[in-house]
Amino acid sequence: MKKMLYITLGIITSVGGFLEIGSVTTAAQGGAAFGYQLLWAILLGTICLIFLVEMSGRLSAVSKHTIVEATRERFGFPFFFIVLVGMVLISFLVLVAELGGIGLSLQILTGIGFPWWAIPVSFVVWLLMWKGTFTLIENGASLLGLVTLSFVVAAVRLHPDWGNTAHGLLPSFPGDQKARYWFLAVSILGASISPYLMYFYSSGVIEDDWDESYIPINRFISTFGMSLGGFLSMAVLVVAALVFQPKGINIEKFEQASLLMTTALPKWGFFLFAMSMLFACLGAALEISLAIAYFFAQGFGWNWSEDLAPSRDARFSFTYTIIIMFAAVPLLFGVDPIRVTIMSMALTSATLPLAIVPFLFLMNDPIYLGEHRNGWVSNTVVAIIVLISFVLAVISIPLEIIGG
Amino acid sequence: MNRVLGIGHNVNQVSVKRLLVISVALVAACKFPTPAEQMDSLQSWLATAGMVGDAWLRHTTPDKYSRQTLELSHETLLQLSSDLLRSPPHSVDSATLDDVLTRSREHVARMARLIEAKDAPDFARQLDSLRVDEKVVKRLSDRIRSTP
Repeated sequence: MKKMLYITLGIITSVGGFLEIGSVTTAAQGGAAFGYQLLWAILLGTICLIFLVEMSGRLSAVSKHTIVEATRERFGFPFFFIVLVGMVLISFLVLVAELGGIGLSLQILTGIGFPWWAIPVSFVVWLLMWKGTFTLIENGASLLGLVTLSFVVAAVRLHPDWGNTAHGLLPSFPGDQKARYWFLAVSILGASISPYLMYFYSSGVIEDDWDESYIPINRFISTFGMSLGGFLSMAVLVVAALVFQPKGINIEKFEQASLLMTTALPKWGFFLFAMSMLFACLGAALEISLAIAYFFAQGFGWNWSEDLAPSRDARFSFTYTIIIMFAAVPLLFGVDPIRVTIMSMALTSATLPLAIVPFLFLMNDPIYLGEHRNGWVSNTVVAIIVLISFVLAVISIPLEIIGG
Repeated sequence: MNRVLGIGHNVNQVSVKRLLVISVALVAACKFPTPAEQMDSLQSWLATAGMVGDAWLRHTTPDKYSRQTLELSHETLLQLSSDLLRSPPHSVDSATLDDVLTRSREHVARMARLIEAKDAPDFARQLDSLRVDEKVVKRLSDRIRSTP
């Protein structure tokens, strides 16, 4: 009975916590610019994420190590330090984007510019971290994030052509704007395969004290939770394709994206979008702050647990305090969160090998996983998708920068 | 040997300089969007203003958001228009282009002001005029695109 509850709650929170500013922005931009053509990128990213989340949970449940602890132990400090720098930098950019997403949601609701929200929003995020428990952070924001299901309602109400939608699940080549197409594909992949999710999930398995008996639950939650989450991203893209593409609207600003649901749900669409973004970004900001603090604490061997009082894991609490404080600074100066989002998602794709390659080594190490090591299917699927993301990122990021 | 190396060094310097000049020229050429791309952006922001206008008339978006987004559209249109008219495309009459873009911007600016006055009938009239200008911009954009 307890395990059934775990599964239900796990799937609900995976769905509610799936969307964040990166997945919504990239899917909306993709749909507005190329119709259903980029659905394949969400599908590919979601498949990869299912495998990665399942592996993260399995590694921690079997070995009783988080990914960070195992990486440092297996590869030594110098290599771990390179991974730390790369992952923390990217996660920091994503945190700036998520805090900015909360600020932008409040801006469209109140009319007060997002830079004014930088400090209050960062303070609330920090306070929830300081006072909250892991369960509150994992479940609370994700349950509120269930409002993002309204994207699916909006998509269904717009009566998309399901045949064309299904066609978009197969990779295709664009007629024109090739650099933009591939850059968006890379950003969508980066938004789907966020490495911080792996670190957060693996630490959560230790926080929740899972063991080998939880392997089937872990598989169930990661498969169904992430699939349904990916379905939400696809719904955003479908709505954008139906609403913005015929009008020729390219999404450059959050104010434009805010109109996403006003056609399908005239009465509530605007507020549902604002609330969806508010809760989705809040959940993601909490998870990323926690993931960065886990990274430092586990890597340097400090005390760590979101369930401990801050006085008992002072360095862990100090880390997220500093990180949140610094993340507010660019927003205070009016740096556009949408630009940060798009760039950080593309950079995530470019740095995926740094996070995933050592992780795959760990997943094939009998010392950590014994009989629960990866099979060839998991290795092949993840390696191919990460390679595709990396190659596309290396080609398209310079093209997009040069193209302005 | 040193002389040979010296000559080699000079040759390398010249090549590097030439490469740098070519790279900068290439980047500069790529950095500016083509007139067709600029027209796409203009159309996108005109359509955004139209969509916000529709939403406001249907009472589906708050006043503040609608006004601010129309102001943002106006600012962006102003910037895009001045960029485009700095080197206008040859395939269209620049006076016609300037005229329609100025008119569209004025409609958008007036719509933003009318939200404050809560004057829905006049707002609807401005929105209709904006739609007409949007079609003219689209025609001009198609002409620019079809001209090699």
